[in-house]
Amino acid sequence: MRTAVLLGFRLRQEVLEWSGAWWFLLTLVVQAVVAPLIGLFVWSAVYPDDPSIARYYVAVILVTLMTESFEQHTFSERIYDGTLSHELLRPQPVVIGVIGMNLAIRAWLTLLGAPVVVLTGFALRAGFDWSAVLRSTPYIVVAAVLVFLWTFLLALTAFWTDRVHAVVGFGSQLIFLFGGTAAPIGLLPDTWRRVAEVLPFYGMNGLPAEIAAGRRSGGGLGYQLIWVVVLVAVVTVVWRIGVRRYTAVGS
Amino acid sequence: MADRRTAVYGGGIVKLLRLVGVGFSMALRRSVAFRINLVFDVLLAFTGLGTAVAAVLIVFTRADSLAGWSKAEFLVLIGTYQLITGLRGTFIDPNLSWFPETGIRNGKLDGYLLQPASSLFLASLSLSSPLALIQFVLGIGVLGWGIAGQSLTAAGVVSWLVLVVAGLVVTWALSVLLACLAFWAPKLQLDVFFHSAWQLGRYPTDVFARPIRVVLTYVFPMALIASVPSAALLRGPQVGVLVGGVLAAVGAAVLAGAAWRAGLRRYTGATS
Repeated sequence: MRTAVLLGFRLRQEVLEWSGAWWFLLTLVVQAVVAPLIGLFVWSAVYPDDPSIARYYVAVILVTLMTESFEQHTFSERIYDGTLSHELLRPQPVVIGVIGMNLAIRAWLTLLGAPVVVLTGFALRAGFDWSAVLRSTPYIVVAAVLVFLWTFLLALTAFWTDRVHAVVGFGSQLIFLFGGTAAPIGLLPDTWRRVAEVLPFYGMNGLPAEIAAGRRSGGGLGYQLIWVVVLVAVVTVVWRIGVRRYTAVGS
Repeated sequence: MADRRTAVYGGGIVKLLRLVGVGFSMALRRSVAFRINLVFDVLLAFTGLGTAVAAVLIVFTRADSLAGWSKAEFLVLIGTYQLITGLRGTFIDPNLSWFPETGIRNGKLDGYLLQPASSLFLASLSLSSPLALIQFVLGIGVLGWGIAGQSLTAAGVVSWLVLVVAGLVVTWALSVLLACLAFWAPKLQLDVFFHSAWQLGRYPTDVFARPIRVVLTYVFPMALIASVPSAALLRGPQVGVLVGGVLAAVGAAVLAGAAWRAGLRRYTGATS
């Protein structure tokens, strides 16, 4: 309960803090929508008569905006400049601050990106089935948790290397390729599709988008939750080892 | 007037080239001193290009051509794109990315104005990031993969070269123009939009819907950086396209120089 109250306060604080940085947030929205937009145009050119492609990619844009994570900037920089020490001394888990900022940025990205999604949806006559969109909600929530855990895990490598942006960049490439942005994973060659269905990246992006677009009716929540458990365990272990390694000098 | 000209454009070309060479050599020594970072950058360049190529190869498991481009032609396009991206990342980005923040708001430009070389050169080309050349090398590799088995003409190769140089000049000029906006609106950071539009250059403009195609041809001419040179290499040169590319490069460079001079007249300094 105390954790939830603390998180609520932190979220409110971060939402207000980020409200002044709308221009920067807008640049993040643009960066986030470019890759799915390319996928949308490329696959619409391959399957011009299939309206579900447009619907799928509009959903991918929305899922991407709602699940974006930037812990390599918000958290890793605190390791590099030593301000993580302040967080470690506070009588609350460090991760509350990280999650608070993550949720605040996502809320702003979703708000600022909503016009892009609505406009693209209308321009392409995507024609969503709203019950499918509603059905996708729990999948989007778990996808958001998965993306956060994955990015946070990679951001923790900042305890060992100062090339955290390269590490997280590599992680994003995996999400792009196996998550369903480069291509809906049903269109991948068979072997790659089977690999993608097992890896966690499909659950971060393609699965909720396919359900929202009506390309898939449901199922897969268990697969997502298994990966949540695995990633929570790995993050916990890496965090403990990393904090033991962390040293800071100065006040 | 002559003094002002020297302040903006600096002394002779040889002197400027020597400065680029010295800066590059210094940056290279700095980069290779951190070997683990070098390994990370090489790996990321490989995976980045691998991801881009894989995304296109997936498309060609489902179709024989995309917007009139075959798989091999697409590889030429990606190779050309990667090659120019590598050169941009090596010579242009280290200078002009975040210029409103580093150049204007933090007052780094003041230092450039006091140095005995062209301020436009110092602000836009003096720093380099040699590790980004890995992308250039990989780009050449993909280009070689794409053109293997294609019959090329000498005229096509020459026009490809001319158009690649024109694309680079336009890229530099656009980066300068976006940086110049900071003289009037220091908080405006438009180069992020340029970088996002840049991503679209990896695909032929015919893939995109008409409004985006217009933007990519006339506003952020991404067509010029990969689509147009690749088409010239594969399908032979077209005089109109070649002249248009060269004129676009000259026009953009002149415009960038003029914008820089106008910006400097307005600039009053940020440091004491």
